[in-house]
Amino acid sequence: MLPDSHAYRELGRLARNPREFFRSSKGSVELWVNLLVITWALAFMLWQGAGFAITVATIFAIWAILAVSLNLVVGFTGLLSVGHIGFFGIGAYATAILTSDPAYEQLRTEAIPTFGWPFFAALPISIVLAGLVALVVGVVFNRFRDDIFVLVSFGFAIIAFSVFLNWRGLTRGAFGIHEIGKPQLGGWVLDSETEFLALALFFLALAVLISWLIVSSSFGRVLTAIREDEKAIEVFGYRVVHYKLAVWVISAMMAGLAGGLFSSWTSFIDPNSFILLESILLISIVILGGLATIWGSLLGAMAFVLLEEGMRFLPFLPNEFIGQARQIVLGILLVLLMLFRPQGLVGRYKL
Amino acid sequence: MLRRDRASEGLLPAPFQLSGTQVLAAVLTVAAVGYISWKISQSADQALQFAFNGLAVGAVYALLAMGFTLVYSTVWFFDLYYGAAAALGAYGVFYLRSQEATFGRYEVSSVYVNVVFAAVAAGVVAWALHVGLYPRLRTRFNRTALLALGGLLAAGAGAYTGFVLAYPGVLNVMLSPAIGLLVAIAAGWVLYRGSRHILAGTSSVPSRVLATAAAAVLGAYCGLLVANAPGASLYLSWGVSCLLAGAVGLALYRGLYLRMRERARSPLVMLVASLGVLLALTAFTTIVFQSAPRPLPEAFGSDPWTVGGASIKGFSVFTIGVACAGFIALLLLLKKTSFGKAVRAIGDDEEVSKVVGINTTVVIAIVFFIGAVYAALAGLLSGHDTAIQPRMGLLLLLKGWIASVVGGIGNLYGAIVGGFLLGMVEQFGIWDLAGEWRDAISFILLILFLSFWPKGLLPRK
Repeated sequence: MLPDSHAYRELGRLARNPREFFRSSKGSVELWVNLLVITWALAFMLWQGAGFAITVATIFAIWAILAVSLNLVVGFTGLLSVGHIGFFGIGAYATAILTSDPAYEQLRTEAIPTFGWPFFAALPISIVLAGLVALVVGVVFNRFRDDIFVLVSFGFAIIAFSVFLNWRGLTRGAFGIHEIGKPQLGGWVLDSETEFLALALFFLALAVLISWLIVSSSFGRVLTAIREDEKAIEVFGYRVVHYKLAVWVISAMMAGLAGGLFSSWTSFIDPNSFILLESILLISIVILGGLATIWGSLLGAMAFVLLEEGMRFLPFLPNEFIGQARQIVLGILLVLLMLFRPQGLVGRYKL
Repeated sequence: MLRRDRASEGLLPAPFQLSGTQVLAAVLTVAAVGYISWKISQSADQALQFAFNGLAVGAVYALLAMGFTLVYSTVWFFDLYYGAAAALGAYGVFYLRSQEATFGRYEVSSVYVNVVFAAVAAGVVAWALHVGLYPRLRTRFNRTALLALGGLLAAGAGAYTGFVLAYPGVLNVMLSPAIGLLVAIAAGWVLYRGSRHILAGTSSVPSRVLATAAAAVLGAYCGLLVANAPGASLYLSWGVSCLLAGAVGLALYRGLYLRMRERARSPLVMLVASLGVLLALTAFTTIVFQSAPRPLPEAFGSDPWTVGGASIKGFSVFTIGVACAGFIALLLLLKKTSFGKAVRAIGDDEEVSKVVGINTTVVIAIVFFIGAVYAALAGLLSGHDTAIQPRMGLLLLLKGWIASVVGGIGNLYGAIVGGFLLGMVEQFGIWDLAGEWRDAISFILLILFLSFWPKGLLPRK
């Protein structure tokens, strides 16, 4: 299991000595948060049955990959990036364009380049492309920090969105790209929801594994040191710039992977999926769940997805307000967390 | 250090040595100037038009940037609430004047909205009385009675705000007592001060009676004047929405940022908290007003004049004027008053300011109020120019933020220069490109600026 989660240690103590545990855990927010979210998730699955729960779980997996990858940059390295959705969008668009079917695309009035590649050929290219863009962007962004970094990362999200919207020859602008190919392994098309969920969870596990390898290696320790004191670690002879760039590119590649999955899953993308607001929601998830823990990001993504789905069943809330109501709840949670628990629900590091 | 040493052994004598960045910056500047002069030589009329549009847009950015700068130079963090304040300012006008909107007679009258803002107003008035008057009066009067009176006053202010919001159709009538009272107080103060000089040596009682009577008459007359002018409602609604946005800003400071500062949260944490505020308030605006773009009622000066081949709207000229007036007012406030001195002192060192007896809490609260008022003003001015929608706040916020960074963080002159520069660059940038690239252009400007002039055009000394 994930080694950085206090909750497991506490559960172990619960098994050994319940009474002592309950006395000491009065203030253990982490445990209660974990219990709450997991119970909520299980209850939701039981209540909704497999069909809807599978859809929700796929949404969760995609958000979770994004959150885990963003936590590498925000939580472990201390760069508060609000532009992560840009890499997600690059991955999504690259996969969409590479897999889109030429036969279908010729029927459209506004032609875009089509390749008709299989999904598993397009995905690595999308990931690499997101990484390359991140490399260029990272070289420019490396000199900024703190609030200026926040501002320029907003800028990256805006610029990426402008490109998606206005480069009509490549993305067909606001009309979006339809009929994006489903993943295919040999003759086996993963077109059912369950198969896709399995694929998404596989990639989520991969992302978590890579993140865990990074943060538990010496590389990860240098990143943490950069977060704590950039000057000090530079004095020890580490090229801070290279480390920051490396983790930025890796994180962007994971976001590109999530984007590829997303576009194949929805089979239709348009720029509205990659607006700045989504990026702000993403950073809220990461901060909500907890900075500098992988488990926190998973928890944050789960809470976020469940929040939306749970709100669907509130009787007094009209359906068209769900997104907004979730945004209000998220905003208020963010404010309360920053006031009382700036490390997030299960986090390790205070901004 | 090493690099500089190596450079000093270069071929050129010291003054002529330029770093690569400087050369690149010079090349870019020359290219930009060349591009603009080429465009002007192509079509001077159009260039004039774009320049004017740039100024008009830049005025809005400059207003926002001034609010940012004021707050940033005092407490050193960017309050992202100002994005929501801009949207609140614009939607406040919409809420109060929606029956005058040109299309889609969209009636929003929600009791909840009125109650929320009434509560905010009551809270702000209560707090203002508590920190402003209570400490001076509590030694002379019965404390319980004072607190009860203050509570009553605050509740009255809240109820009054609620009623004003509930009957927007007769805004001028609703506001006339308040305006009359304000005018009477102001006139009374001026007359007392004046009479002391004019009537020096005589008994002060008749002069006081005279001054009070004159002030009351003047106040009543102004109140009646406003009550009989339904055309003034639009401009009164500007005032109301700016004040409400400012009140929300102040309430946020008192309820949230002050507590965070007491807990010594880092500026980044406060930034994230204000992002949460922005997120929640934007969603609140969307729920109340829906996300579709809506027009504000026509203000004056919407018929364009033609000046040298460019069509110029009177309202845009007014916007530029407001930005300049706002700049001058803020400058005078900061440079000439003791409040301004206190603000600058807090910006330099908060602890020492506290030690020398500045009430930092109150001064910073007023700073937050003024900043939010400027943001709301920017929002409603740009709302009259284009349609309004809830997410306009985020974009305006980013533009104001960029302008304040490009101009030089924490410098008031930088804010206005940065605002106008950003507006101009945006407008000249979309001459050859589609208008949708505008937001991208402003961020590219920001990144270029930060790469070559990391401290902005006019850095704070």
